[in-house]
Amino acid sequence: MTRITYIIKETFRNIGRFPGTALASVLSLTLLFLLFDLFWIASMTSEKFYDSLLSEIEMEIFLPEDLPDSSIADVSSSLILQEEIFTADYISKAIAREELERLVGIDLLIGYDSTNPLPRSFIAKIEPDFLTLEDMDRLKDKLQQQIPGTEIHYSRDWLQKAESTRSLILQVGLVLGLLILLATVLSSANSIRLMAKARAQGFHQMMLLGAGKTFVAMPFLIEGFLVTMFSTAAGWGILMYGRQKIAFTQFEIIYPVNDQIVAFCLIAGLLGAISGYIGVYKYLK
Amino acid sequence: MSILMLILPGIGMDRELLIKLDSVSIKNDRGDKVFRDLKLLVEPGRSVVITGSSGSGKTLLIECLTGLRRIHSGSIVMFGKDISSGRKGAIRSIRRKIGGVGGAFGLVPSLSVSENIRMPMIISGERNKVQVDRLRKMLAEFSLIKRAGDFPSSLTRVEYSMVQYARASIGHQPLLIIDEPTAGLDSKSFRRVLDFLVKVAVSGRSMVVLTSEPIETKLPNTDYYQIANRALQ
Repeated sequence: MTRITYIIKETFRNIGRFPGTALASVLSLTLLFLLFDLFWIASMTSEKFYDSLLSEIEMEIFLPEDLPDSSIADVSSSLILQEEIFTADYISKAIAREELERLVGIDLLIGYDSTNPLPRSFIAKIEPDFLTLEDMDRLKDKLQQQIPGTEIHYSRDWLQKAESTRSLILQVGLVLGLLILLATVLSSANSIRLMAKARAQGFHQMMLLGAGKTFVAMPFLIEGFLVTMFSTAAGWGILMYGRQKIAFTQFEIIYPVNDQIVAFCLIAGLLGAISGYIGVYKYLK
Repeated sequence: MSILMLILPGIGMDRELLIKLDSVSIKNDRGDKVFRDLKLLVEPGRSVVITGSSGSGKTLLIECLTGLRRIHSGSIVMFGKDISSGRKGAIRSIRRKIGGVGGAFGLVPSLSVSENIRMPMIISGERNKVQVDRLRKMLAEFSLIKRAGDFPSSLTRVEYSMVQYARASIGHQPLLIIDEPTAGLDSKSFRRVLDFLVKVAVSGRSMVVLTSEPIETKLPNTDYYQIANRALQ
């Protein structure tokens, strides 16, 4: 029996010797990871929803009355040259009047054809990377300096609320992630500690024969890795089964891609291995 | 032998010794000094039998020789390595050269008889074929073939002891530390153990035998000591 054969054999023997403890560990970890997976999906879905809402945000740039029509082309070029602006559509007084008529259902300016009071404006679409409160405010200030007398509007209050909501979701996610991380480590370490405790005498004897700590601890590290990775995979298995059975037509649910799930399972496994070492460490002194 | 040793005899001599205890003082858990200024030299191929009454410090001595306990002062050099400093790498390497039998060297309860016997070879990374060959030999030599798959909890005291002897011999460990070699043995096993001790004593391997009752059979290549007045005499 080589050292590796022994370690592998011992890993599965550990699980076989304490099937109840191993099962309890798998079930509790599966539930924890299921909770985490659900939050992950919810945050990805809300992020997508948030992005689609953000993409609707426009900046309205109202031009001063004293700006001659001959300068409109220059203003348009200057707007397009801004890195934050994706497109800038000119709304003339006539187009504004048509838009107003479309909105209220009646032309309110009949009889005022020569003195249309509606302002000329540009509707600017913003590059997705600059759809933040800070960038939008900076752009507004910059444009007001470049084109004096302009009045600029965008959904600032909505953006502010959306950003604070997004930040809140992120903070909750971080706290939840840390709690689940801690619970995973404690739960896994505790079940391995129970298994190791029953074998403490054997550890002592093996170390007296010249075995190193790594050799003695390795089966528990592998066990922690396998149990945690299996629990994570089981959590995703349950979710994927549910995905096939339940269909949402109102909105699209965003799932992580397979690579992300595999990476998550492996990282969780590594976390389990660390828990295994924590569980067995006390008995290796 | 190195050129340096030829020019300056004495240099490197410690490397030739299996055990060198120099002015060793050992305290027990209560802090009482059990051994004072202990000196002991064991050369390869020679053995020592140390006799001492119960509570005289035999177990403490085993703990110090296996690196389980730090000495209070002096030095312990085994196989040319100073283990008094408690350096883990040195202790681990020395433990692999020691075959232990008796109270301190219990079997691993969760492993079968076969696995317990071959464990020193698994730890040292010996090839599987060599392990299997030597295991068969040990099982036959110590009449353990029928018990190969059993666990230590089901063994009789004599069988348990035989497994320890088999484990201490399978890796051809150069040093055997035996704590109370004949304790609890029936007359047949007692005779067998004595034969084993004689066989080891003439084989070129070394032994440190600690016993509370003197061994009647005179072992070849062996020095005898008695624990008295906190020293070996």
